Amino acid sequence: MSTTSCYSTVSANIGWTDKFVFVCLLALVDITCTLLLLNPDFTTAWNIRKELLQNGVLNPEKDLYLGKLALTKFPKSPETWIHRRWVLQQILHTFSDANHKKNEQGEREQANAVRSQQLSDHLARTLHQEMNVCSDAASRYPSNYNAWSHRVWVLQHMAKGNIKVFHDELSSMRLWVSMHVSDHSGFHYRQFLLNELITELCRASASTTWLAQQQSSTVSNSSLHQHSCTERNGELSGADTASEEERQFSLPTVLQLFLQEMELCSDLIQSFPGHETLWSHRRHIFFLWHQWRTEHQHNCHSKGENVPVDVSDGNPGMLVQSSVGQGESVNCKTHASEPMEVDTGLLPDPHDSKRLKRGVLPSCPPSLPSEHSFVSIILESCCNYEQRRFALAYKKWLGTVIGLQG
Amino acid sequence: MKLYSLSVIFKGATKANLLKAAYDLSSFSFFQRSSVQEFMTFTSALIVERTSQGTRASVKEQEYLCHVYVRNDNLGAVVIADTEYPQRVCFTLLDKVLEEFSRQVDSIDWPSGSPETINYKALDIHLSKYQNPREADAMTKVQAELDETKIILHNTMESLLERGEKLDDLVAKSEHLGNQSKAFYKTARKQNSCCEIM
Repeated sequence: MSTTSCYSTVSANIGWTDKFVFVCLLALVDITCTLLLLNPDFTTAWNIRKELLQNGVLNPEKDLYLGKLALTKFPKSPETWIHRRWVLQQILHTFSDANHKKNEQGEREQANAVRSQQLSDHLARTLHQEMNVCSDAASRYPSNYNAWSHRVWVLQHMAKGNIKVFHDELSSMRLWVSMHVSDHSGFHYRQFLLNELITELCRASASTTWLAQQQSSTVSNSSLHQHSCTERNGELSGADTASEEERQFSLPTVLQLFLQEMELCSDLIQSFPGHETLWSHRRHIFFLWHQWRTEHQHNCHSKGENVPVDVSDGNPGMLVQSSVGQGESVNCKTHASEPMEVDTGLLPDPHDSKRLKRGVLPSCPPSLPSEHSFVSIILESCCNYEQRRFALAYKKWLGTVIGLQG
Repeated sequence: MKLYSLSVIFKGATKANLLKAAYDLSSFSFFQRSSVQEFMTFTSALIVERTSQGTRASVKEQEYLCHVYVRNDNLGAVVIADTEYPQRVCFTLLDKVLEEFSRQVDSIDWPSGSPETINYKALDIHLSKYQNPREADAMTKVQAELDETKIILHNTMESLLERGEKLDDLVAKSEHLGNQSKAFYKTARKQNSCCEIM
């Protein structure tokens, strides 16, 4: 029998006043709070709080705050993270209920628009808060996969398919991974983000083509927005959402993502010699790139069409025609309004203190030859024993794993 | 990557004299902080005592790396970092701090000074700025200047001690450690977890 139903039964029998029962329930809130701050893995206490929440005695925000506090001392505590996900699910249910109610009422459009904006703002704030809690916990304990798994869960449930959120996450994580160069968990997260982004971008570009082909008909259920409205930031419903989104945020190309990631990796490898994590990350990214490029070329061959993705966020417009089957390199045409600077090497020269300017990327994508030349640069310039060892291992991997796949 | 403490210490004839120190204890839990600070002071002073003039060294202890430079004029500086933080940036920092300190504080004050009497305010700023090594320093520049082979590496604190000397005795005798910290050290030693904090 649950705690609260006990109380109901007891109070009915003895005739306790509602106020007294309520006071007891509040006491429970305090007691569980104290217990959990001492030992956040005390599952029973969290479960009591679940019941209190369901009976309206407890505000979900309070539980989130308690969890956040507990995590500052016990950043790995599995029960805290588990309970947190339960609370977030409750919050999400409340949102979708509110949304359905709004849709049913349907008449007063203006009020509805305001209401849905409020809801999605609240969701955005909750999302942002979760990201902060995860970051904090990850900083307090090395390789805190509990925190990172939670972060992934939050994105999958509260920002499904939201390219902008994933992209923002990728940018905001740059500093974290730069300050935790031997912590694989941060890089593992980046690999997840990249994977998701690539999947979504491919889907988006496929539907853009489809949309372009459906010019005449009104598209009310754009395949770009196949997920519930409440899960997107600042989204308006309607047929012209695609252009709205494009105006607010230009989709990065898959190539751009890979180039930026490789640049970050190279930069860190050169700045912090001798960290295996960085080399391991490089393998992941290069392998991902290699796979994607092979698949993509194959797909485009079979479809027989160009899928141009135009990008205009600060870069000179770069049009990537992906339907090329020319061996190692993909054809990059730059329609630049101003000349694009190209460094002498593909990657920054370690003896040159200037780094590649942000937003100006090398015009050629990663390839086996460029990777081999990167390894050579490292071996030439570096005297750190570990670094040399990792560089040579990477070279061997390139030869055995990638080379054999052709 | 993190820096935990930065101290300027004078290597006297018989013992080391702490002149100024800065700490970043934000990653430690609240109630541990005063003990942690004391241990860091204790460790820094001990390291300077056991490091010869004109030497640079790095001492590893659990997940901490203590980098020290004692100049020929017996002025020394110690920075305690984690194992991720690049070593060469630490030595740049030590050079910089010692140079600045010796310009601002007269050498006559070094043998007898204390953190209360010494007038040098930049230590906290340096510690905070160097938390991000790339912002604080051009890494490639440092690479060229420092000869890493000249830095002695000690794998434990014990290797600094003389034969027969025990760390436990030094802890018990230390004036840098309060009673609480000493008691904590004893308990931690007994549990064989050897001072989680240091």
